[in-house]
Amino acid sequence: MNATAEAPPPVKEQSAEVIIEALQRTVSASRLSLFLQCRLKWFHRYVLKLSKPKTPSLHLGNSVHTVLKGWNKARWLQKPLTLKQAHDAYTAAWADTSEGSVKWEPGEEDDEKTTGWRLVDTYLRESHVPAEVKPDAVEVPVEADLHQHGLPKLIGVLDLVQQRQIIDYKTAATTPNTDKVAHSHEIQTTSYSILYRHNTGHQEAGIQLHHLVKLKNPKVVITPLPAMSPQQETRLFRQMEAYLTGLQQEQFVPSPGMHCASCEFQNECRKWH
Amino acid sequence: MAIKLSANYSKKLGLPQYSSHSFSASVEVELSDITQVEAEVQKLYALLQHSVDQEIQHSGFLPEANSRPQNNGNGQHQENNGRTYQINGSGRQHSSGQHQQAKPVGDAWNCTDGQKGFILRIVNENPSITKQVAEDLSQQLFGIGVKQLNKMQASQLIEDLLVKAGKPAPRQSRWQQQPPNRQAA
Repeated sequence: MNATAEAPPPVKEQSAEVIIEALQRTVSASRLSLFLQCRLKWFHRYVLKLSKPKTPSLHLGNSVHTVLKGWNKARWLQKPLTLKQAHDAYTAAWADTSEGSVKWEPGEEDDEKTTGWRLVDTYLRESHVPAEVKPDAVEVPVEADLHQHGLPKLIGVLDLVQQRQIIDYKTAATTPNTDKVAHSHEIQTTSYSILYRHNTGHQEAGIQLHHLVKLKNPKVVITPLPAMSPQQETRLFRQMEAYLTGLQQEQFVPSPGMHCASCEFQNECRKWH
Repeated sequence: MAIKLSANYSKKLGLPQYSSHSFSASVEVELSDITQVEAEVQKLYALLQHSVDQEIQHSGFLPEANSRPQNNGNGQHQENNGRTYQINGSGRQHSSGQHQQAKPVGDAWNCTDGQKGFILRIVNENPSITKQVAEDLSQQLFGIGVKQLNKMQASQLIEDLLVKAGKPAPRQSRWQQQPPNRQAA
């Protein structure tokens, strides 16, 4: 990915302080994960709010999410979408640039669009979610007030809840490894468990990661995970505490590593000292 | 030889103003064959859970809303800014079954005040969204009335009412521009 070199917009010290103050009051799994991955990247994205072109993979992922949301919602209302209606919804989602447009290379967009639809088509044809079972929630925004733990309010959006299973959709370029994804997505899955429990009063039956893998022959990999353990909750709380401390001390240092290869702020990072 | 099987089911629910109430039910049965145990346990669990759930919905007396916070039962007062959890200790309430939402009492709503206010505001500000429309949608989605919705269900209803009103929340910015009374929407 080519990160566009852009001069950081002038940010008054006071307004940055106000932004950081607000970011201490609420946190999402993605915000927390990014902070723990690289604090400087987090600072560029959430405090300086540097604008970057939307990536093709993000656009594809958003379009796939949109059509799966529509498909789940339609079956919930007992008006299931036909494959053609799902394709129309996908086409409309793809054309929607309200959340930023992508800088496509010649011929790239058609290929990506086809890839995205093949993922959706594979998922729907393989019926990974029983159509006759009503969802409990579809892409629902929820929050959990953790002030009794001295922690920020946790926020998030649950893609699908069905039969007390929290289901999260992901598009991926490679086939996920079960053990690795359980670890690499732990912040997200633990956050979702806490959100689910705070908002329903019940313990989740489990969590499922539904990876739609962009292979020549697309495939769906479902990773079932158990309900959150007390140890996982403690780990997340400690990570949130580190997030709070980091913001209070304004520790926005870079963390060079493998993840820099896909970072859109490489140019800005190199200027940091 | 007869086999005695004892089963007990207990449930504790949190109530407003740091209160809680609990109820348990026990039963003892005799079995003639040990192979009956598994099926009998399954049956008794379902029976006891159902019975306890039926009764525990009646929360009875509740403290006044303006009374002082009560001790949480662990010898700790839960103050707003104090971090009360301990990394390996017992000071923290874990989420497993600890966030039971109280059933609505009388005319009370089960969701948060913020969600209640937001639903009512959508109804007041959008002629096409009457109270009946909201109630019907709630029944269609969840099979229960608006007041019985838990927080997650209320949030879902808010999303869907906004779509019906032609004002869907944008996917990326829903957390960034919340109206004052808007929670989880």
